[in-house]
Amino acid sequence: MEDFFTNNSVCVSVEAPAENLVQEIAYDGQEVFQLPLTLSENLTKQAHKIDWIKREDDDNDDDTHSATVTTEKKVEEDSKKADFQTSSWPWDSVRNKLRSALTEVCVLADVLVIAKDKRYMVLDPVQQEQPDQRQLAQLFSKKRGLTAAANILLHGAERLKISQSDTARAKSNQDFHLELLRLRQSWTLKKIGNSILGDLSYKSAGSRFYQTGIFEVTKSEDPDQELSLETTSENQSKQSMIKVTIPPELGGTAYIQVTIQKDQDILCTTNVNLLHTSLIHSDPSRDANPWTSKLEAAQNVLFCKELFSQLAREAVQLQAAIPHMVVGNQITASLFPGIQLSIHFQSSYSAGVDKRQLVSNNSTSLVAKVDHNYILEHSLHQLLRQVHLNNVGQPVPHPSSAPLGPTKRRRLAGPHAYDRDELLLMTKNESILEQIIRQGQHVVLRLRTMFVIDSIAREIRDPLIISHWNVLNSPTLSCVKIIIMTHGYDTLQRTALVVHVGEKTLKCVCRDGRVLQMSYEPQELRDLILCQISQHQINAVQSLARFLGWHVASSSAHLGLGPVEPLGNASSCILSSPSGNRILSVRCGPQAAQPQVYLSTYPRHDTEKNKVLTDIRWEQLNTRYEEVRLEKIEGRNFLSRMELLMASLTCRLPMNWE
Amino acid sequence: MAGNQNPISAIDMLTSALRSNIIPNQEYLLQGSVIDSSAEVLHNRLRGLCDAAETGPETFHDHEMCFSLKASSPGGTPQQQQSFLLRVRRALDHPEYPWQLRYLGQPELGEKNQPTVLRSCIDIACTPNVVEFLSELGCRIEFEYVLKGYLFRKGRMKVTMSKIFRMGQAKSPDSLEAMTGSYLVELSLLAPSGQDAVADEIKVFAEQLRPLVHLEKIDYRRLQSYS
Repeated sequence: MEDFFTNNSVCVSVEAPAENLVQEIAYDGQEVFQLPLTLSENLTKQAHKIDWIKREDDDNDDDTHSATVTTEKKVEEDSKKADFQTSSWPWDSVRNKLRSALTEVCVLADVLVIAKDKRYMVLDPVQQEQPDQRQLAQLFSKKRGLTAAANILLHGAERLKISQSDTARAKSNQDFHLELLRLRQSWTLKKIGNSILGDLSYKSAGSRFYQTGIFEVTKSEDPDQELSLETTSENQSKQSMIKVTIPPELGGTAYIQVTIQKDQDILCTTNVNLLHTSLIHSDPSRDANPWTSKLEAAQNVLFCKELFSQLAREAVQLQAAIPHMVVGNQITASLFPGIQLSIHFQSSYSAGVDKRQLVSNNSTSLVAKVDHNYILEHSLHQLLRQVHLNNVGQPVPHPSSAPLGPTKRRRLAGPHAYDRDELLLMTKNESILEQIIRQGQHVVLRLRTMFVIDSIAREIRDPLIISHWNVLNSPTLSCVKIIIMTHGYDTLQRTALVVHVGEKTLKCVCRDGRVLQMSYEPQELRDLILCQISQHQINAVQSLARFLGWHVASSSAHLGLGPVEPLGNASSCILSSPSGNRILSVRCGPQAAQPQVYLSTYPRHDTEKNKVLTDIRWEQLNTRYEEVRLEKIEGRNFLSRMELLMASLTCRLPMNWE
Repeated sequence: MAGNQNPISAIDMLTSALRSNIIPNQEYLLQGSVIDSSAEVLHNRLRGLCDAAETGPETFHDHEMCFSLKASSPGGTPQQQQSFLLRVRRALDHPEYPWQLRYLGQPELGEKNQPTVLRSCIDIACTPNVVEFLSELGCRIEFEYVLKGYLFRKGRMKVTMSKIFRMGQAKSPDSLEAMTGSYLVELSLLAPSGQDAVADEIKVFAEQLRPLVHLEKIDYRRLQSYS
């Protein structure tokens, strides 16, 4: 070491730089310096900075290493100096380190020498960093793999979650399509773009109403509500997946009310509404498909609107003697003097109220209130539907080359040279209003006829009046058969007459073949029936007399004697007993409650025997007629009393006669 | 005097009606044929497409006679003679219907983009003695045949699907002899002149029948020249 030190006489001064570190700079720019280290502190600090493990080359020939070598040498010198200056023990670790460093440096120098000679050993570059890089890459790849796996798992979980919710949705979807199919079976549907539109108008059936009945079909989007509904009410059938949106003007309910009123009294009311209570409650499919009732209600509204607008148009166009009035939602037409037909369009648009309930309430209350006349209601339907049918069902041409359109009668018009009147007749088309007025008139006339017959039958117990109404009749013609007979004597005499009730007139066919035309005034029919009753009584008495062996001396249906009847004529007959000594005279007038019976007998009891006229034949002169008080005679009715009377009068001849 | 005025006013009305184009005297026509074996398919298709599906198709059984009237101008050569065809048709299955006398003008094929044949057409209903009347006028029967088939209606359009039978000598219905093994399909529409938009309507309908039957504009002159 000494040699080494002396040989290399380069002095390296080791000292701290003149400038100390700036500790802080004051605000006035003055720098406060750190206090310089003491020499020993400095040395210790420097010595501790040295990494003694670092390589040290022995060789001097390597220039590149010379700088480091020199620094190391300086350090060694320093250590020597420090060794000299301080006790050896504090530098012990330094010394140990130096020693180990020196050993290492020597080994390194040996290795270098061997490597340099390339005689024993060849140094190959060894990729030292590779395993480290691979680890990093592995880490990355593992991380990536894990994230991918996590993604897959998450994705799968997500899909499971979706599919779970989807099964419910798919089920509902399937329901939607099924319901759509069911809807399609009864309603016209069309797909335009993304929306499904339907048509509930009667256009395909021939309606030419301007208003369209287009509705939209969408999927109902309230599963939560549905669920809650399902849970809350078991009874409630499953909520429909189809949501039907109808135009607002077709919402609610509507019906047409036909009223026949005499001044203020309602004679007859009909209520035209497609949705009857019976229909609503009985049809099971209506409950299954909630949209059915909604659509049908809308269709009903449309139908009623069309019907009313058609009627209103006709009411304005028609030239009636008493003009029809159209005021707001009401059409008024007069049927007979004092009797009016009013057609009222009732419409209720209820947004929140349950429609079905509303309808049923309405109809039940109406049914309860007035007697429901189905005939006019049905007729109104039928009439409009007939118009529709005529619009659609054009006649088919024959032969096939003939043009479409004209009816058969119009085709025949040319070849048959129809004249103007016939052609005009052909163009005449009866409107719905006219037809319904005619039907209304018929209804009124029929009610009146019924009333007249029933009231007569109630008033007059003897003879009996039986009426048979034909069940089958046309809307403007019905027929009643009236039979007048006496109880217990129905095989003896029956008087039958048939009354055809038309629109404005009555036609009565009597038994003898007479045909009487009567107006709509009920009094006329009443008079006729009363006349028929009186004639019946006389005829019946005659039959009875013949049956009992009496003789009909004379009979007259139109008696010119006695008090004048206010209407018609009294009829009478004169009957004589088999022996001829009793004469009965029966008189029956239409207004009389009971027939009058007069009796005349011979020989006279009141006078003495004539002295002059002794011949017996003069005794046959009848006495004056005396009225028989029939009500004192036993018997249920006139004929039975007469029978009793005649039987009692049929006695043997007086003795003196023989 | 009134009797004199009436015919004049009637003619006036007729001419004014003609002038204002309200008389349907133009026939838009497409024709095609379908072989017997496929006829039922077409029949079902037509039933589905046409109106009044619920009542079913109307059948017809017609007898048509075609009369020609040679109108020769005095100085004309025989080539210049124009034959003038008039068709008389009667419904054999509906004898109570009037007979139809029909005049058909020359069919106009028009340009390629015109969808249908257009021909003027005048139909008149008449009594059975029209045959006698035409014979008296100097017409003679060119040919006659019997048509039997179905008639469909789609709006204003008329679709007939018929089979043509040769008229036997005995003129009895039993002696009918089919001319071909196929059905003649005709799609026609009568309209007043100037309503060419309806031709497109016909074309659209013909397209709907496309796979079953090709309804086309048939050029008779070309057909005649082929034969």
